[in-house]
Amino acid sequence: MQDLVNLFVKSIFVENMVFAYFLGMCSFLAVSKSVKTATGLGIAVIFVLVVTLPVNYLIYKYVLTAGALAWLDPSFADLDLNFLSFIIFIAVVASIVQLVEMIVEKFSPSLYNSLGIFLPLIAVNCAILGGSLFMQERGYETLGQATTYALGSGIGWALAIVSLAAIREKLKYSNIPAPLRGLGITFIVVGLMGIAFMSFMGIKL
Amino acid sequence: MDKKIFIEPIFLKNPITVLVLGICSALAVTTKLEPAIVMALSVTIVTGFSSFIISLIRNTIPNRIRIIVQLVVVAMLVILVDQILQAYAYEVSKQLSVFVGLIITNCIIMGRIEAYALGNKPIPSLVDGLANGFGYGLILVALAFVRELFGSGTLYGIQVIPLSWYSVNGGFYENNGFMILPPAALILVGLIIWIQRSFTKELIEK
Amino acid sequence: MDTNKNLYTIVYSTILVVVVAVILALASYLLKDRQQRNVAIETKMMILKSVNLAKDASKADDKPTYIEQEYSKYITDSSITEGNKTFPLYICRLENQDKYYIVKLHGAGLWGPIWGYISFKSDLSTIYGAVFAHKGETPGLGAEISTDHFSGQFIDKTIFEGENFVSVLVVKGGGAKGNHEVDAISGGTITSKAVEAMLKSCIGDYLNFFKANLNKATAPLYDSTMVNPSDSTMLINQIDTTKN
Repeated sequence: MQDLVNLFVKSIFVENMVFAYFLGMCSFLAVSKSVKTATGLGIAVIFVLVVTLPVNYLIYKYVLTAGALAWLDPSFADLDLNFLSFIIFIAVVASIVQLVEMIVEKFSPSLYNSLGIFLPLIAVNCAILGGSLFMQERGYETLGQATTYALGSGIGWALAIVSLAAIREKLKYSNIPAPLRGLGITFIVVGLMGIAFMSFMGIKL
Repeated sequence: MDKKIFIEPIFLKNPITVLVLGICSALAVTTKLEPAIVMALSVTIVTGFSSFIISLIRNTIPNRIRIIVQLVVVAMLVILVDQILQAYAYEVSKQLSVFVGLIITNCIIMGRIEAYALGNKPIPSLVDGLANGFGYGLILVALAFVRELFGSGTLYGIQVIPLSWYSVNGGFYENNGFMILPPAALILVGLIIWIQRSFTKELIEK
Repeated sequence: MDTNKNLYTIVYSTILVVVVAVILALASYLLKDRQQRNVAIETKMMILKSVNLAKDASKADDKPTYIEQEYSKYITDSSITEGNKTFPLYICRLENQDKYYIVKLHGAGLWGPIWGYISFKSDLSTIYGAVFAHKGETPGLGAEISTDHFSGQFIDKTIFEGENFVSVLVVKGGGAKGNHEVDAISGGTITSKAVEAMLKSCIGDYLNFFKANLNKATAPLYDSTMVNPSDSTMLINQIDTTKN
């Protein structure tokens, strides 16, 4: 139990998807102009991560990893389908995103309108695929760990985008050198936020 | 052929600093020049060839499964790149770790396919893809140059700053450890944008 | 042709999947040997480094071949059995007949796995060399465990005090003294402590073997022909006697 809590806290603050690994940057920068849309996208990312990561974990564990197919037939024991992992992961992500899009469209047209073209973009949001790849790379051992990691990193991502959106709303009133306006200052602000998040690194978990 | 297809993505329409595409997977690999160059090459190859292949089959793709078809083609190319790196450039592929896989979700690739390859002939699409990959790679390499030089005192793994300058050897110099950390990459991109926009006024945002 | 028909879509995706699968399977099949060789070479390289060999590997024209040659020249793969588990033990024999015992280490660092190899002189207490690696420790801080500066400190330390296993402790603040302590990396204390824990637990797996053979530098225990099973429950399996 304790290690799950550790993992949870670590994936929100210390190994934040955005500040430590730059994952999901495209939509992070594009959709962070207002807090409202940022919150919507943040929630969508949490949801998609929590659904896709455990699914990918199961697929990885029971189909893809070396010797994983032994449960089907012992003769498959030396089969290693690892090389297919990218393509399978992205296919799972894409289909689940499609599903989420249909559900959101049906039940919350206003959210659907405000998220606009970015909902399909979640499919190519690096944070989602990145979550699955990190799960594979770090070898999380149980379904619980994988889900906790998904939830933690999703919340971390949402936290990052909402706080950036809040800062950018204030930034509109600042006097910034013209060439730095917009994208330039946003990068620098994200960098400074990253420094702030680095102070979590000293936490001993 | 129109030269603009090749020149524009490198400066005026640079995917990173102007279009804000594809920052996701890449900044993390810019602490050293070597992985940055390999990453830049991989992305260029994948962007070029995925645009080429999609453009070849653009009239046959069923519209309903368009995105999936694109993803499958891109993912296939990325897996090939990854496998080849693991076989022929093992050290670098270890440093790139998950970031090779993340090329799949690099927005430049999907962006170019959607915006260009779906409506153009294969050869211009190939050039467009390669040029975008190249413009992207340029920023990566520039970042890696600065970060490795000031962060580790080396370039491409070769010590550039004289060892006798370091304070451990009685000199006055210390590596700037901050350069290696993630936030430095973001701030440097911000500065690059600043410099670029000071020279090209039409890019300035209101 | 109408590309929006269901049948067309299904046939199209089937063909696509088959084509992609064939290409990928082919690539994987063709490159597999090379990839596995790379992984094996890396392990061998680390093992050689832990006994201070293969230092000029990066200068060699054909690094993989050089590593393989050096490895087969000096190192014998072996293992010990503890309970019903088998632990690998690598034995290094130099030209001058000096023997070193290499133990594999693996543990968890601050961010991800850390691993390494450590070699002992034939008294099985004095460390002859060590090498550590990590997956994702903080550059400049925890990542420094993979430098020669850190691993070099372990040379000539001892893991036994008399008959007692004390391992090697990693102490903070640059005050390491005595035969069982090395300095932690400043700013990388958690990773340094992880190295300490890794040493303790991994060498711990071999403890019976180590104790049974402690300080018997001259004992011919490791030539399989002369092993006396009653002497110790800890025997080395599969010794290659041809490498004497």
